Amino acid sequence: MAAVPAPGVYQGAANVIAAAMLLIEFGMLRQALARDQIRLYMAQSGLLSVLAVVIAADRHLPELYVLAALSAGLKVVVVPLVLRRLLGRPGAERPDEEEPPGVAGSHALTPASAVLAGIVLAAIGFFCFGGLKIRGPAAPQTALAIAAAMVLVAFGLMIVRRDVASQAIGFLALENAISLAALVVAAGLPLILETAFLFDLLVAIVVFGMLIRAHHARAESLSTADLTRLQG
Amino acid sequence: MSVAVPIPVIQLLQVLTVALAAPGVSGVIAKVEARLQGRRGPRIRQPYDDLAKLFRKEALAPEGASWFFLAAPIIAVACYLTIPLLIPVLTSYPLPLGYMGDILGGGFLLALASFVIATAALETGSPYAQLGSSRAKTFSAITEPVVLFVVFTVALLTGTDLPYALAATVRSSAGQVVRPAHLLAAAALFMVILHETGRIPVETHTGTNEFGMIEEARSFEHSGPYFALLKWGGELKQLILFTILADVFLAPWGLAATQSLGAVAVAIAALLAKAVAVGCAVAVIDNSFAKLRLFKITEFVSGALLLAVLGVFTLYLGGG
Repeated sequence: MAAVPAPGVYQGAANVIAAAMLLIEFGMLRQALARDQIRLYMAQSGLLSVLAVVIAADRHLPELYVLAALSAGLKVVVVPLVLRRLLGRPGAERPDEEEPPGVAGSHALTPASAVLAGIVLAAIGFFCFGGLKIRGPAAPQTALAIAAAMVLVAFGLMIVRRDVASQAIGFLALENAISLAALVVAAGLPLILETAFLFDLLVAIVVFGMLIRAHHARAESLSTADLTRLQG
Repeated sequence: MSVAVPIPVIQLLQVLTVALAAPGVSGVIAKVEARLQGRRGPRIRQPYDDLAKLFRKEALAPEGASWFFLAAPIIAVACYLTIPLLIPVLTSYPLPLGYMGDILGGGFLLALASFVIATAALETGSPYAQLGSSRAKTFSAITEPVVLFVVFTVALLTGTDLPYALAATVRSSAGQVVRPAHLLAAAALFMVILHETGRIPVETHTGTNEFGMIEEARSFEHSGPYFALLKWGGELKQLILFTILADVFLAPWGLAATQSLGAVAVAIAALLAKAVAVGCAVAVIDNSFAKLRLFKITEFVSGALLLAVLGVFTLYLGGG
């Protein structure tokens, strides 16, 4: 068997950052507290910005610095802040509650099985995109395959966790995955477009926030388990 | 002016370095761990003193145990002393016996040693020793896939499964160091090493609580020189695994490229420094995490499996 040649330091570093983002997503699969999931999301978004900076430095795309800063400001600071506020005081009847309500026990699978299922999803993502041989101007194709795996694992996260908070985090992680793919394939996209996509996120957050609040007000829990039964 | 060391002597030195330094590395880890906890800790030569004391003591065997009970520690140590012949301990060039076995060969020797110890524990009829060997076998069965995937990664990186080849590949360029497959495989191997050496989060190696014991419980019925051999074997295994992690995966630098005496001496010093560095990392982990409940160990192992499998994916499907 022939050895797989090394793709070079820059591409290797980009791939490592992408792989770390994927690993963080697997961390979200098993994390029991909404607070920790938000922390993981912050770390993942931070890595995305780091990757943007790496690509900007290597490929001389100065716009990407702006995008990295915007993305960091929005996803590492604003979105987690909004999420924490939304989860922090879910009901007026419990004003003394400081901590976000737990999302523990919302696993549809045990954490080990969830990881195994995630590995299968990641394999599908890798298999589909690794074979496409898309060569973006900015980042290596391995990062693109990792982004595809991240999309599928984010879907998996939304499926195996039965609480609205984890599902919102899963959706945000999905958005991170798409941003990663966009960075890889279309790093040269006009800044105004990228920024517009970024601010779509705020809309999503508001919608999710309303859904979480509405669900919590109706069901008095974050769990979606009782939504499976139809009510007339 | 350099004195050339004959090749057979270097080969012998590989085994001797590991054999003699292993208790010392354990001593350093115990010391660092104690300092991190604000204790003074045992002296660094404490493991040597322990071994010396045990070798002077009387050996007893439980009634009904066969010859295998006493042979097992000797076989295990023989296995552990064979592995340093196969891996790059001191030299970056392969020594004549280095191609006797590949990574799988080394893995078989480790597994054989663990198997004979577990079988000897079964011979005793003691419930705790049996519990320990049963658990050790169960958990090594679930870590085995991780090791296999790490080996696959090595095979994809180098086209062979020889430890010397991987070390040479990692040394060859910076691109080989930062590629995700290499880092993921090294991280997975590190998690396996935490498991294999009985460290937190899998097992408390200093605890006396039998319920949490996995590997530690296996040697309960051995005494005197045989117990000393088992203890020494555990320390040898630890240093061997640290050497594999440092000299094959993470930092294959500082190895002797020639036969000169100076280079070999530097290589010995570098090996010890690297082993102590890995040991310090292990000690920090020991102090920062809690032991996992027995049934949560699968989660830890599934994390290691994830790293190893992703390593293979990025290479085989992702092309990176």
